[in-house]
Amino acid sequence: MTPDPTPGTTRSLGQLIDRLHQLPGIGPKSAQRIAYYIAHVPDDEARALADAIVAVKDMILFCDECRNLTDASPCAICANPQRNRDQICVVEESRDLVALERTRVYRGMYHVLHGTLSPLNGVGPEDIHLPQLFARLQDQDSPLQELIVATNPTLEGDATADFIYRRLAGSGIRITRLALGLPVGGSLEFADETTLSRALAGRNQLE
Amino acid sequence: MTQPRTYRAVGLTLRKSPAGEADLIASLYSREHGKLDVLARGARRLTSKLMGHFEPLTLVRLSIARGRTLDIVAEAEVVNAFPDVKADYASVARGLHVAELIDGFSASSASNPQVLDLALQTLDAIGKQSPAATDDHSPDLPLRYFDLQLLQLSGFLPELYQCVECGDGLEPERHRFAAGAGGALCADCITPPEIVVRPLSLPALKVLRLLHRTESVDRLPQLNMPATVQREVHGILSETLQYWLDRQLRAQSFLDAAKLA
Ligand SMILES: [Zn+2]
Ligand SMILES: [Zn+2]
Repeated sequence: MTPDPTPGTTRSLGQLIDRLHQLPGIGPKSAQRIAYYIAHVPDDEARALADAIVAVKDMILFCDECRNLTDASPCAICANPQRNRDQICVVEESRDLVALERTRVYRGMYHVLHGTLSPLNGVGPEDIHLPQLFARLQDQDSPLQELIVATNPTLEGDATADFIYRRLAGSGIRITRLALGLPVGGSLEFADETTLSRALAGRNQLE
Repeated sequence: MTQPRTYRAVGLTLRKSPAGEADLIASLYSREHGKLDVLARGARRLTSKLMGHFEPLTLVRLSIARGRTLDIVAEAEVVNAFPDVKADYASVARGLHVAELIDGFSASSASNPQVLDLALQTLDAIGKQSPAATDDHSPDLPLRYFDLQLLQLSGFLPELYQCVECGDGLEPERHRFAAGAGGALCADCITPPEIVVRPLSLPALKVLRLLHRTESVDRLPQLNMPATVQREVHGILSETLQYWLDRQLRAQSFLDAAKLA
């Protein structure tokens, strides 16, 4: 049951505010602002937004190979013959893949986990797209050269990387982790000890 | 009486959650103020000087400014990041079991420095365990020690020396256990039907008493416990913790599932 609307608003506005508030990163004030904005835009603009949301839900699916969200499987990256099939880069979320693509440095394949192992949230290996990763590695036609684990350097991202590493130990696959170090524009003085010790461990030869 | 605008605290981060664009809210258990929720402004930005200071299982020294709703971190310094605990996923899950229970059993503003010390000593012990300690043959004794001692510090220690119903001393091999009744039972007492009673073996009772009597986690003796006794002690403590928390233990179920995998 929806509670009675706050005085001065309506039930339909209240419902939209509630829905928007459930979206990631939208606080109550932003939800209110967006809802009032939508109430004021022309009819066809509001409908176009609603249609776009429905279309995403109707069209989107997981790529059979890399598990990224796509309109057609295999996705554009997996279908691209120019990409290097000897490398797979494992990321937590689709947005991480997008960030890596923006660098235009990496030309290999991806695998999107859609999450990390998270003991406190009851997320185990079967709850993210890890089984698909291990199955995919087994089905490879030619042996993989390198598996790049690009999960976030957080407690849970690191635990997920360690889990993958242990599961694949002895498989002969070279497993690497993104270099972790000091952010560009950062300052040594303020770096926490974990960041600093990892930056030291991952130092590079100046050439 | 005016309160000072800033205060200091040393605490262990139990969990963090994102807030706003780049902020995060960290829940800590502090020596000075018990459980504490603080807002770390901009801490999710790569260039923030607070970045990395609030990963769970990190001991930080903070300077905190009082805010209207949440207090705000002014300065942070990592005291101990427990890198050995974070070196493999099983010890991360063990460490999170500690964080989960401290979170569950502590109330805000009630400070008990012994709880923090117990947590820190347990994390040290977890870090010293070998990564291979996920198999069933190596007892998770430090964690079980933590379970029992936390129950004790929280006022929920199960009775281990006499029958909770009649008060008689326990005779060897004539004892049972009921978390809902408050601990061990003799063989004769009758409990209400809604209370779950389980068998309690003499070796398991002895291990529980040993966990109770041992002064600190690094004084625990090396025990060669049969797997059945380990499972029994684990079951009794989990049942007791879940009884008082009134919910499942998440990190522990993760660990149990990992052992099967
Ligand atoms: Zn794909
Ligand atoms: Zn009795």
